[in-house]
Amino acid sequence: MAVLEVQDLVVGYGQFPVLHGINFVIEEGEVCVLLGLNGAGKTTTVSAIAGLLKPTSGEIRFHGKSLRRRSPSARVKDGLSLSPEGRRIFPRLTVSQNLRLGAWSKRRDTRQARQQLDLVFGYFPRLAERGNQMAGTLSGGEQQMLAVGRAVMSRPSLLMIDEASLGLSPTLARAVWEATAQIARDGTTVLMVEQNAGALPFADRALLMEKGTLVHTAVGDDIRNVNLREAYLGA
Amino acid sequence: MSTLGQELITAAVIGVLQGSIYAMVALGIVLVYRATGVFNFAQAEFGTTALFGAYTAHVVWGWGYAVSFGFGLVVGVVMGLLTEALVIHPLRKASRVTLLVGTAGVALTAIGLQFWKYNETLIMVMPRISDGFHQTKYGSPTDQQLITVAVLVAVTIALALFFRSPWGLAIQAAQQEPVAAELVGINVRSVSLLIWGIAALLGGLAGILAGPNTTFSAAFLSFGAGGALLPGFMAAVLAGMRSMSGAVAGGLVVGFVEQLGNLTLLVDVNGARAMMLFVFLLLVLLFKPSGLFVPRAVTA
Ligand SMILES: Nc1ncnc2c1ncn2[C@@H]1O[C@H](COP(=O)(O)OP(=O)(O)OP(=O)(O)O)[C@@H](O)[C@H]1O
Ligand SMILES: [Mg+2]
Repeated sequence: MAVLEVQDLVVGYGQFPVLHGINFVIEEGEVCVLLGLNGAGKTTTVSAIAGLLKPTSGEIRFHGKSLRRRSPSARVKDGLSLSPEGRRIFPRLTVSQNLRLGAWSKRRDTRQARQQLDLVFGYFPRLAERGNQMAGTLSGGEQQMLAVGRAVMSRPSLLMIDEASLGLSPTLARAVWEATAQIARDGTTVLMVEQNAGALPFADRALLMEKGTLVHTAVGDDIRNVNLREAYLGA
Repeated sequence: MSTLGQELITAAVIGVLQGSIYAMVALGIVLVYRATGVFNFAQAEFGTTALFGAYTAHVVWGWGYAVSFGFGLVVGVVMGLLTEALVIHPLRKASRVTLLVGTAGVALTAIGLQFWKYNETLIMVMPRISDGFHQTKYGSPTDQQLITVAVLVAVTIALALFFRSPWGLAIQAAQQEPVAAELVGINVRSVSLLIWGIAALLGGLAGILAGPNTTFSAAFLSFGAGGALLPGFMAAVLAGMRSMSGAVAGGLVVGFVEQLGNLTLLVDVNGARAMMLFVFLLLVLLFKPSGLFVPRAVTA
């Protein structure tokens, strides 16, 4: 069954629509990347899925169940997790405290949380070295790792990552994407949001977004097609 | 020892005793300020209202002291939760000035209710927990005051432990990044209620503990005989409006500085105590506007 189904999704800010009825499905186990230029509506899409924005119309189903009446915190409990744009780590808490809070929705199961913490430290060994450091003093790349790690702590079945590569050097961006690919291989379905075509090799499928509509879906070799990048990303 | 030296030590002793009340008020002010970015005008009125509750239960209804004390705290906490539900939450998207006016409205409403319900009673006295006192060379602390200091110590330790607990971390997370807190599944509304409940509990403790020191009437802890709102605010400023341990230190220092106004040296100066406080605050704001007691990495 599809993990996520988005149907005729319309979302706007006030009266002003930003998404004009988009449709897509994410299948279990795949890594999907939502690509588009600045202002295309990528963040709006994942924010609506996470429950931060209320859709004007349309339907979002997670494991077959409508999310319409689910609060953001209820969605985390259901297994939906978002590493938000701009990282939004808790700057005056330590790295370990940030990660512990990532497991808030499942905090009663302390043994699982500890296992999950080991897993995250496995994906991002740098975080393990800095467990007691204030998160606000981490480098940009480390903060991004922390944001993804925190999102993984809730043991999601669908992990959404909004612009992991933002402001990172190509090497660091690749490190984060590689960790993401590893998380996916360990059994988590992933939806990445990117405007950086460098993420394409790490994805099974790409959804291209332009001005609030999905204009193209690419799979397999098509993803690595240079023309596609030129056509839609100007890269 | 010189007279001045002895007077200074006395000022320190009395200052700490009186400052304990300021510290409790300041803790509540800092807690709420970190959560909403707003100075809570109603903080001291949580205390007066709790005191009225305890007084009513103990003196009017004849309940036992401990139960009445607890009842007063419950009244204070209910007032805090109502403030969150009826003023803070509905105004969460409004400007800080609007919120500030909202908390002032809460304080005035509470004061109005106190006047209305107790218009007939001219002098109200809340009995002390224990009537003992200790005559020393440096002032005569009452048992009531010593108990207050002990409660402050206990509250400070409890708060420090609490902020390391899961819910304490959740409060800090919600204060630092509300959206991310929501995204990890923290119910930010519950956190907000929790903060106002704790702040009101701190105010309530201050009110019920300070009440027996004098007679009291409406607005006791804000502007009345127990006036702790302004000193509490000053203590919070010393803490940079964000450090909990700083609020405690600030409260004690403000208590001490205020007592300096009682030195024989200043006997001819009218209003010396208030003046000492304002001069001190002015100096701090001039030379160290970020606050005196602000740990470099503020966690709790
Ligand atoms: N809070 C808001 N109020 C009004 N308009 C908004 C708001 N947030 C976003 N928009 C508008 O919605 C459109 C889509 O924004 P969105 O953030 O979803 O784009 P994006 O694809 O994530 O872009 P980027 O790559 O720059 O992050 C933009 O035109 C933006 O100006
Ligand atoms: Mg975006």
